[in-house]
Amino acid sequence: MRFLLLLLPLAALLGCQPAPEQAATVVTTDDLGRRLTLPAQPRRVLALAPSMTEMLYAVADTATIVARVPQDNYPAAVLQKPVVNNYPVDLEKLVLLRPDIVFTIDGITPVDDAQRLQEVGVPVFYQRFRLVDDVFTGLEKLGRLLGRPARGRRVADSLRTELKALVAAPKRAAPPTVLAITWQDPIYCYGQNTLFTDQIRLAGGQNAVTETFPQPYPALTREYILKLNPDVLLGGTFEKMDSTFFKNYPELRRIKAYQNRRVFAITGNLMERPGPRVVEAVRELQQLLKK
Amino acid sequence: MKNPRPLFWLLFGVLLVLVLALGGLRVGSYSTSYGFVLNTLQHYDPTDPAQLALVQLRLPRIVLALLAGASLAVSGYLLQTLVTNPLADPYLLGTASGASLGAIASFVLVPSLTVAGVYLPPVAALAGAFGATLLVVALGTRRGRILPAPLLLAGVAVGALAAALGSLLTFMASAEGSLRSVVFWAFGSFERAGWDVLPYPAAALGISLFVLAFMQKDLNLLLLGEERAAALGLPVAQRRWLLVLLAAGLTGGVVALCGPVGFVGLLIPHLTRGLLGTTGRYNLLVCALLGGGFLLACDLLARLLYPPAGLPVGLVTALFGVPFFVYLLRKNN
Repeated sequence: MRFLLLLLPLAALLGCQPAPEQAATVVTTDDLGRRLTLPAQPRRVLALAPSMTEMLYAVADTATIVARVPQDNYPAAVLQKPVVNNYPVDLEKLVLLRPDIVFTIDGITPVDDAQRLQEVGVPVFYQRFRLVDDVFTGLEKLGRLLGRPARGRRVADSLRTELKALVAAPKRAAPPTVLAITWQDPIYCYGQNTLFTDQIRLAGGQNAVTETFPQPYPALTREYILKLNPDVLLGGTFEKMDSTFFKNYPELRRIKAYQNRRVFAITGNLMERPGPRVVEAVRELQQLLKK
Repeated sequence: MKNPRPLFWLLFGVLLVLVLALGGLRVGSYSTSYGFVLNTLQHYDPTDPAQLALVQLRLPRIVLALLAGASLAVSGYLLQTLVTNPLADPYLLGTASGASLGAIASFVLVPSLTVAGVYLPPVAALAGAFGATLLVVALGTRRGRILPAPLLLAGVAVGALAAALGSLLTFMASAEGSLRSVVFWAFGSFERAGWDVLPYPAAALGISLFVLAFMQKDLNLLLLGEERAAALGLPVAQRRWLLVLLAAGLTGGVVALCGPVGFVGLLIPHLTRGLLGTTGRYNLLVCALLGGGFLLACDLLARLLYPPAGLPVGLVTALFGVPFFVYLLRKNN
């Protein structure tokens, strides 16, 4: 009896709770074809990839962004947000943050982790970008999902206009072949099936790697690069590459890029992130190709 | 085998190596015919990129694979003799885990990978290899005598410690690129081969085989165990030191250049003894040739299976070596 009496206040407490309001939801599919039920007006969002965080900052109400991942550094305001680990995914912290939607891009977050989050009520929306235009449509999609379709459209349209003005310049007869490396030992590069291929095409060049490998960033042999003989090599300033890359692989000094000193550094974060700064990346590539 | 024919197997080893080397010279991004290969070897023209690739990239790679296979096989043979344990392999002395720790440390802690113009990973790997070996030998000796059982245990312990430290560094690594380097290194590869690095493993192998040519009898005596070998007049303590020194020299350089290529040092000595008997006169030479041939074949296969960069050669040695090893085991039983 005393036990039941003890329970009474609890019952009262529960009774006082307002009935959970039936929040409006939308059913949608993400870029991986996963069916998701999302709240129509998400109040708490976060992204598990730095590029996606940049997109959120471009489209979302920044007050609704509840966390960032360790690699996030743009825009500077993001550094104020609490950090949640994305590699490996800190599932517990994510649940604790109670986000309405978690955004990420294909290849960054394991689908298994997304599935587990889903099971505890945190939907994960994947986007996938192969072309620069995919980023623009991605921004529009983000606008719709966040209940700010006009904002998403405006950001995307202004980027489209900016890009159009950029690539309006007449194309050269033979676009220079460009090899962009991401690591020196082993030599990894931006493969055909990365966003870089479209970025460099828009900038007036072409990806030197024309073969499509299973991995987006394939490892290459020195002989393969010798045969590619790229016009331009991206991966570091000429001086830096001369004292590291070409010092370790002196045979590669024969490639046209080295002979003509067309070896340049690219702003890493800019090229790697398919976000709202994608047009800036194309502009940087265009400037480099003019050298 | 009842009737070991050492000269036959010696000849077989030489032919195997030649055939594989010639085959290996043809495989690469430039398509090259045998005629082109032979022509290049006779009249080398460095201005032709395909010829440059053949002479500066493919040839040193083949020589390195050959030297690595031979060194690891001989080293494994020596250590199996030293500790009279069939499980022993070249990495018994902590060489592989020490080298891995050195390489991982350079990948993770020095992002530029170059200090004062020196490319760090192989140097750090070499330092790690010899550091770990010194530690293992120090723990495995009592009053200047190498004791096989403590040496074996010290090798396991130091190996585990180095592996744990390496894993810790890997776990803490922030750059994704460093992780790739670490993983790539861990499987072993001949991709970084160049003429400039070949003299070291070539000298280590040459000197070792020369010294060992005078020691074949001693090796056989060591197999009898310490007391009987000593009773037959062998300076056991001194010979053991020599074996450890040679094995460490053979393994350290190879691991620093190619990464810890596994299995060849375990498989080939067993294969050699299976073919020629435990105490054959040409055992070490055949062992070196078969080891070299085995790694040449594995590297060729790796490049054919997964162009252009090739599968890590350590994967291929295990994938094809293990079934073969199991077959040998079953057959011997």
